[in-house]
Amino acid sequence: MPDNKIQIAVIVNGQATVVEANLNAPLGTIIPRALEQTGNTGQPPDNWELRDAQGTLLDTSKIIASFQFPPDVRLFLNLKAGVGG
Amino acid sequence: MTSQQLVQSVDPAVSLAKFAREIADFRSLAMDYGRRGWFLAEADYPRAFVVLAAPQLSPPPLVTGVLFDYTDYDLRPPSVRLVNAFTREPWAGAELPTTLRRRVEGPPLVIQGFQLPPGAAAPRILQEQPLIQAYPDGLPFLCIAGVREYHDHPAHSGDAWELHRPAGAGRLVRILEVIDTYGLRPLTGYNVSLTPQIVGYIQGDPPT
Repeated sequence: MPDNKIQIAVIVNGQATVVEANLNAPLGTIIPRALEQTGNTGQPPDNWELRDAQGTLLDTSKIIASFQFPPDVRLFLNLKAGVGG
Repeated sequence: MTSQQLVQSVDPAVSLAKFAREIADFRSLAMDYGRRGWFLAEADYPRAFVVLAAPQLSPPPLVTGVLFDYTDYDLRPPSVRLVNAFTREPWAGAELPTTLRRRVEGPPLVIQGFQLPPGAAAPRILQEQPLIQAYPDGLPFLCIAGVREYHDHPAHSGDAWELHRPAGAGRLVRILEVIDTYGLRPLTGYNVSLTPQIVGYIQGDPPT
């Protein structure tokens, strides 16, 4: 795998998939790929939110390399609450 | 409002297989979820019972239980109730440990006699909106798309479950994430009430 690539395990609504990503790209670029690989359709990437294993919301506009993810990183992608009440 | 009667109209084998996938997916990452305070206590189709703790507090409390009912899934979304983690009884409105408050933007603020500069957007006031709703005579329910009680509510007849199903809105982990985000993670400490009571006087050393 090239040096600028990383494999990230993404848990989409509880379902795991592995996404190959470019370290120099924004973190948000993994969202459409993870959704496609898990067959989650019908809601645009903006309606999803990405968290780390501690549940902290991640800034998807930041470059992937800036997070310094360990090799066994797992990120959690879930549908936002949307309009409620 | 009470949820409509849960009726199984899909082939039970289909609902059971989808329920089993939810449970298997959760268990495959049970360690990760456990660190966040999510524990699957029981899974017996069609019901799953999860207890949620707040590990950021000391001592960490079991804040609430969540009872899922996947009857007729996924023709219909799951029923979701916040319940007492020990008795599994649904919380009555006043007993709820959290109402899952979130901040939303209110309508544009109009000030009489005040003209905004051209192109300027009217300011909006942030409001708090509870994601747990209830009628005075009914049990509280989680009012978000992907939950049966939301889609059964007459006010949401225009927001069909079928619009949300392809994105997994009814999946176990997704619903737990919403409850955790708005109900558990905002807890930063205990709200303690102390009632001082005078029981006598403080006296110095007695004179000789």
